[in-house]
Amino acid sequence: MIEVEAMSKRYGDVLAVDGISFRVGEGEVVGFLGPNGAGKSTTLKILTCYMPATRGTVRVAGFDVLTHSLEVRERLGYLPENVPVYPDMRVEEYLRFRALLKGVRRRDVEKRMGAALERCGCAEMRRRMIFGLSKGYRQRVGIADAILSDPPLLVLDEPTSGLDPNQRVEVRKLIASLGENKTVILSSHILAEVEAVAKRVIIIAKGHIVADGTPAELTRRYAGDRRVHIEARGDAATMRRALRDVPGIEVLSVDTLDEGQAIHGFTIRCDGDDDRREALAKAIAASGALRQIEATVVSLESIFGKLTMGEEAA
Amino acid sequence: MKGIRAYGVLLAREIESYFMAPLMYLVLAIFLVMNGIAFNFSLADSGGNVNATVRNFLGGSILFWINILIIPPLLTMRLLAEEKRTGTIEGLMTAPVTDFAVVLAKFSGALLFYVALWMPSLVYLIVLKGYGALPDPGILTTSYIGILLLGALLVAIGILASALAPNQVVAAIIGIVGNLVMFFVPLFSLQMGQGKLRAGLEHLSILFHFQNSFGKGVLDSGILAVYAVLVALILFLTVRVVESRRWS
Repeated sequence: MIEVEAMSKRYGDVLAVDGISFRVGEGEVVGFLGPNGAGKSTTLKILTCYMPATRGTVRVAGFDVLTHSLEVRERLGYLPENVPVYPDMRVEEYLRFRALLKGVRRRDVEKRMGAALERCGCAEMRRRMIFGLSKGYRQRVGIADAILSDPPLLVLDEPTSGLDPNQRVEVRKLIASLGENKTVILSSHILAEVEAVAKRVIIIAKGHIVADGTPAELTRRYAGDRRVHIEARGDAATMRRALRDVPGIEVLSVDTLDEGQAIHGFTIRCDGDDDRREALAKAIAASGALRQIEATVVSLESIFGKLTMGEEAA
Repeated sequence: MKGIRAYGVLLAREIESYFMAPLMYLVLAIFLVMNGIAFNFSLADSGGNVNATVRNFLGGSILFWINILIIPPLLTMRLLAEEKRTGTIEGLMTAPVTDFAVVLAKFSGALLFYVALWMPSLVYLIVLKGYGALPDPGILTTSYIGILLLGALLVAIGILASALAPNQVVAAIIGIVGNLVMFFVPLFSLQMGQGKLRAGLEHLSILFHFQNSFGKGVLDSGILAVYAVLVALILFLTVRVVESRRWS
């Protein structure tokens, strides 16, 4: 659905996007993730034909965004960042105007508008002036606008920014349901947002793609080794010897947590992807008393932090 | 076909937004008051001669020129500048419509509102009838054609200004300055010796167009061509500015 090849965008002296390439297949829901200023909005603006790339080629549904801009625009629904809508119009006036502009046939306009309003949960707002709407409803009107002409591709730039937690959940649900029969590309600087709706995540930082994959793949690839924390009572040296017999692990540190009760904490690194907790538990049970065992899961959040802060960039 | 349809949708929205905007009623009121005063002076200056009154009122008085150089930029200032400032330009330019259709719709909408501003002035004909005679229909017709052509030119300048400016106020200022340049620069021809430059500048002078042609009941194809070419050129430049998308 989307093919981006070696695309760059320069604003004066600033290189906002530096030679990125990616593909999005039909029906995929892709999260575009990165800190503010990473080049997310710029990329989406190029995809939607709002502005041209400085270099590289971009095709949407097989059409080049530069030479076949109108064909591309007919096939996409776009929610720009901050949802610009005409404040002096009523919701239904605005959507009617947008539907006609997008080439919806006059006799289908009311039907399409009704469906979009219903879908976005703002049917009861149709007679309201846009300037009086809350941020959450404005966002929904923006999404209703994007789906009006029932385009195969939705491009949503920060669809949940500025919403309260309840509204976020609702907009996420809405996007997830839209993703069932459309290709969706959405951007966010909040990871949980993207994880909740997208099956694939593209992480972008400083104009480069630093990671691309499913949340599970990214966790596996960037999390490094598994670690296990054990808390146990008994003689530290005995327990340590017992642990050493478990294959494929390494004890990184031993801390005394409570001198009087002889409670110790062990930090253990497991090789590869194996979950060794059961073997470790047996070893401890044989040499002391197990109080707690826990595998640390490296969250996508920390991977995101690492990747976008420039450390260990892939 | 698609392009024409999009143009129609955009134009309807433009017209609607003119009549929905409180500011435009204020501009309308100022224009009508100014025009009333201008008509009053035109009538007084002509001593009751109806044709001289029409000539003064439509292109022959200082008040007319002040009014005409200031009002159109106020009609057009918001057109593109406001879309840029609020970001709605993004929704507009990512819809399947050409930049040309957007610019042309805004131009036609503004020109229609400009025509609406002039409609009430037809009432003055009743006043003139009270002085015994209606003005020469030829002079009346060419004068109003002149008003329309001049309006098209000044509205085009205003839209270009709105495309260039980051906000409405700057758009109005650029538009007014542009109109003043359009008015005054050709008048430098009065200071020049005979020559091609002088002839060229005279041909461009909107003041001379009224004095030598529209106000005399004459339509000169050369002058019509000047307006057609200038309007087309300025709208073309506007489309180029919109296309450049330097704004964020």
